[in-house]
Amino acid sequence: MSGTLADAAPADGSAAVEAPGPAWPHRHLLDTDGLTWPQIELVLDTARHMSEIVSGGRPRSTALRGVGVTNLFYEASTRTRVSFEVAAKYLSADVVSVAVSGSSIEKGESLLDTMRTLEALGAKVLVMRHATSGAPYLVAREFRGAVVNAGDGRHAHPTQALLDLYTLLRHAPGGSLRGRKVVILGDVLHSRVARSNLWTLTAAGADVWVCGPATLLRGFEAWAAAGVGGERRFTVTSDIDAALRDADAVMALRIQKERMAAGLLPSLHEYAARFGLTGERLATATKGCLVMHPGPMNEGVEIAADVAARPRSLVIEQVTSGVPIRMAVLSLVASAAGLGGGAS
Amino acid sequence: MRAMATPRGIAADSGAEIGRSVDLDLSGAWLVDPAAGREGPADLIVREGRLESVTWLEAGDGGAADDAGVIVAPGFIDLHAHLREPGNEAAETIASGLAAAAHGGFTTVCAMPNTTPPIDHAAMVVAARAAAAATGSPVRLLTFGAVTAGRAGEQLAPLGELAEAGVIGFSDDGSPVQHPELFRNALAYSGMLGLPLVDHPEDLALTIGAEANDGLTATVLGLKGWPAAAETNAVARDITLLAEVVRDAPGARLHLTHLSTAGSLDAVRRAKAAGLPVTCDITPHHLALTDEWLAGSRRLAWAALADDGTPRDPWRDRALVAAPYDSALLVNPPLRSAVDARACLDALIDGTADAIATDHAPHAEVDKDVEFGLAKPGIAGIETALGLLLEAVDAGLLPLARAIEALTTGPARVLAGGSADAARRLGRAGAAPGLTIGAPADLVVFDRGARWTVEPANLLTKGYGHPLAGRSLPGVVLLTVAGGRLAWEAPAA
Repeated sequence: MSGTLADAAPADGSAAVEAPGPAWPHRHLLDTDGLTWPQIELVLDTARHMSEIVSGGRPRSTALRGVGVTNLFYEASTRTRVSFEVAAKYLSADVVSVAVSGSSIEKGESLLDTMRTLEALGAKVLVMRHATSGAPYLVAREFRGAVVNAGDGRHAHPTQALLDLYTLLRHAPGGSLRGRKVVILGDVLHSRVARSNLWTLTAAGADVWVCGPATLLRGFEAWAAAGVGGERRFTVTSDIDAALRDADAVMALRIQKERMAAGLLPSLHEYAARFGLTGERLATATKGCLVMHPGPMNEGVEIAADVAARPRSLVIEQVTSGVPIRMAVLSLVASAAGLGGGAS
Repeated sequence: MRAMATPRGIAADSGAEIGRSVDLDLSGAWLVDPAAGREGPADLIVREGRLESVTWLEAGDGGAADDAGVIVAPGFIDLHAHLREPGNEAAETIASGLAAAAHGGFTTVCAMPNTTPPIDHAAMVVAARAAAAATGSPVRLLTFGAVTAGRAGEQLAPLGELAEAGVIGFSDDGSPVQHPELFRNALAYSGMLGLPLVDHPEDLALTIGAEANDGLTATVLGLKGWPAAAETNAVARDITLLAEVVRDAPGARLHLTHLSTAGSLDAVRRAKAAGLPVTCDITPHHLALTDEWLAGSRRLAWAALADDGTPRDPWRDRALVAAPYDSALLVNPPLRSAVDARACLDALIDGTADAIATDHAPHAEVDKDVEFGLAKPGIAGIETALGLLLEAVDAGLLPLARAIEALTTGPARVLAGGSADAARRLGRAGAAPGLTIGAPADLVVFDRGARWTVEPANLLTKGYGHPLAGRSLPGVVLLTVAGGRLAWEAPAA
């Protein structure tokens, strides 16, 4: 319930977010798979509240004043890292960002040792990005504070899925995705964005389609048949025309050049010709079909420049939405971990 | 920090000493004697390490009415273990490996040669034997020699010299012999020497970066798929080449280790039906665990199979109870589907699989307590093999006698093959399983009804992490006697 998020209106004039209470039990956010629909709604409601801080309508929150938030990035990232930094600053946290090039093993220090070092340096919330699927689960096993997954290998990118949902719901008629056709297009196999979105979009009741070349859909037909969580079915196809027909929203995924070296694709040119999201292809979608991309985009490959720039494109809004969503996530996990001032 | 209970320490508590000659008077225990094809209540007397008498009882004679209590069997033989010495003593030593083996009921351990440096020349074999003798453990250490020099897969190791030094066969385990021509030649040459060639069947071109069995769990967890075809292809190649080689090298024998897929077991079944000299083993973990454990399931393989023979969905079943990505579960070949696990069980029951081998593969903490995909593959399972098999027995899926056979006469036949010479050699090494009156006793006594908890304090391996940690297993090994000498004795309760 959004009512739980009312400001405590502290005397110093700054805003504080009320502790969300038992509705948010998660000390870590590692994936979207463990979230119930009410918990997802709690994140979205909290983010709506946070967006007023971002837009200047409310003063900066003190929810994480004095709390050490450390961004530990083992993969290069600009938008996600900066988004988390900005979010943490709006919450008055003490933010440190650590970029590690290469794997922890090449560096000669184990991931757990790095975590322990950062913990000893005051990290209470650890935001981590890692190239290996499951890496944040190892850290969460030992870390005493809260862990937020900012992307692990092919596995999950929960804050991206939540900001995608937040963005979509702002534009969905009636504020619901129930029965709406949402297409995830592209390199689904390697995409943590696709996996995390499958959990949240099916939880929202959307009619989810995933579409891409057969080589990049490996294993997904079986998952679609089993259903997300063993129950929520989705549709898998390599027929882009069938996928886009009457689509309410399309999320194009980044295609990476390494996929050709691995023999998964003949060429970027062929990919663009067969699976690129173009205005022509979108003609069979619904009139107001929303276009999304988690970024960074290869314009002219997975998405045509004019599509990315068209009025119904939400690409920039996705970036904007990232900040309040991450503020919401940081404050919720910190509260569950007993960090920060909360409403006190 | 592990509280390391050494067998010596435990033995001292119970007034016993590892390596001492054993006197034993067992009355009315359930004796399983696969060599004689018999099981039932019996009295058994060991004097000064030698088996003095075995008296089979009628059930009414005061012996056990069934096989639910204390069981006596010949000592187990593990065809496949990694003892890591020399080169990685942080993971295991010959001493800790043999102690762990004895705790698991094993009296003979066949060590794989992928140590650092590898066992690819005679001096290494001699050194391993000397290191085993120095431990004071009566558990027999047998060693495989490498197939190729340095295990590099380029040219043959000195196979004849290794045979003279006493290796029991050849294997590049850890890797397959990738080059088909070299594999063909190795089969012919080892056949000439009367020794089996043991292949780790893996088509490496299909497993680059692979992390988990290609299936629903890998898809959902975003792990790179490890297809069954990687094993099935390699097995098909090996068998095809074997069929050609035996025409002019009739002594050639192929043993395929740690088979994990329905397809590769079917290929072996057909090859055996066609009369080819091929044998295979499966591990307890491929029989009892499945890939859904990576997602956090902890149910045994048979509980993960639907009545129609398809795998159940652990998400739908709400069966995910543990944290995902436990690197203790990373193993080569990977844990497979419930369907493959059932195929392993079926192959064990119908004799397609000749033996259970543990593929005991301990690793140091630094190599295991890391990100799932960066950990070294391997499960240190020599102490939990019996327990996992007993789980299958208790589930009514595996006859106890067959489980014991696969741990004793099965592996002995693999090692001896059809060769009288090899059988004699094996007999001299004392590894021929059986309860020969007058010979040094080689046996294990376990309480099938009792359970124990798998945790570091209860394990003798130095290996870090165990997929069954925290779980209780049936079958407490009370006593292991190797060559008439005490190898393990459970502390007095």
